[in-house]
Amino acid sequence: ETNKPVEPPQQTAAMKSLHSARFIQDPSKICYPLSIVSPSPALNANAPSDRKFKYNKEFLLQFQAVFKEKPSLDWDARVRETVGDAGESARPQSAR
Amino acid sequence: PNDQKKESIGDAITVFHDPENFNVKHPLMHHWTLWFTKPPSGKDINWNDLLKEVVTFSSVEEFWGIYNNITPTSELGLKADYHLFKKGVRPEWEDQQNKHGGKWSYSFRDKRAVSIDDLWLHAQLAAIGETLENDDDNEVMGVVVNVRKGLYRIGLWTRTVGRSIEGRSAAKGKEVLENIGRRFKEVLRLKDPEVVEFSGHTDSARSSAKAKPKYTV
Repeated sequence: ETNKPVEPPQQTAAMKSLHSARFIQDPSKICYPLSIVSPSPALNANAPSDRKFKYNKEFLLQFQAVFKEKPSLDWDARVRETVGDAGESARPQSAR
Repeated sequence: PNDQKKESIGDAITVFHDPENFNVKHPLMHHWTLWFTKPPSGKDINWNDLLKEVVTFSSVEEFWGIYNNITPTSELGLKADYHLFKKGVRPEWEDQQNKHGGKWSYSFRDKRAVSIDDLWLHAQLAAIGETLENDDDNEVMGVVVNVRKGLYRIGLWTRTVGRSIEGRSAAKGKEVLENIGRRFKEVLRLKDPEVVEFSGHTDSARSSAKAKPKYTV
C-alpha cells in the first residue's frame, strides 16, 4: 500500500463491521427482522451446502438503504483515480 | 466443505439488525471485479490505459457500499463503461476466458426515457445474485454498460457461443444461451417485441460493420 496516509483516519463502525463480519454459511437459517423478506428459498433448494448463495433481486434491494458505508478508507481516492477524473462530464465523488 | 463450524444462529447480527455493528455478512457465489473505461481524453491513446480496475468484492454488503458511493451511469461521460466481471477475467474479448465467448446485448436508444441507473443496477444484482443461469451452465462472465452518443447499451458476456463443448451438444449449448438471454431480457424489463441479440466476440471483431446476430430472444 503506497498511498496509505501516515496517520490513518478512523474507520467507521460500519466499515469495521464489514471487515470483521464472518460469512453466513446458510442464509436460509438466519432470522431476519420482521420487516425484511428472506432470500427466496426456492433459488437454493437443491444447492450443495457451500453454494446456497443465490439471491433474488427483492432480497438484495433491501440492503440499498441500509448499507451506505464506503467499502474502505481509501475509497474516495480510488474512485478519483479510476472513475472520478474520467473527464469533464464525469462528476468526481464528493470527497471530504 | 463439511468440516466448517456450525453456525451459531442465535448471535448472528446482520446489517438489517444493526447497520453499524453487525457480525455476519452475505457471501456471493463468486468474487466480482468492477472495472471502468474512462472516456478517452487527448493524452490517452491506448485502451489499456483507459480500462481501470476499480474494486473486487465478495459480499452483498460490500456491493452496496460500492454502489452507493460511486458515480451513477447516468452521470458518466460519453464512451465510458462500467464492467462487472468475475474476478480473474478481464472484460476484453481477447482474454483467454472470453475469446470463445460472446454477448447478449440491447441498446436503449431513447436515453432520456430509460432509467439506466435502475437497469444497470438490476443487471448487476442478477449477476452477483447468480439468477441469470442455472447451476451447471457456467456461462456468465460479466455484465457491462456502455454510455455512447445516442444510446446506452447493456451487455451480458458468456463463456461460449453455444457450440458443442464437454458434455453438451450444440443444440443444448444454444438452449442454455437462449435461456440466459431470456432471463437477461426480463432483467432489462424489455417487452416481447423488443429484441435482445447475441453475437460471438470474434464475429463482431472480424466484421466491423453489421454482423448478423447469432441468436435473438
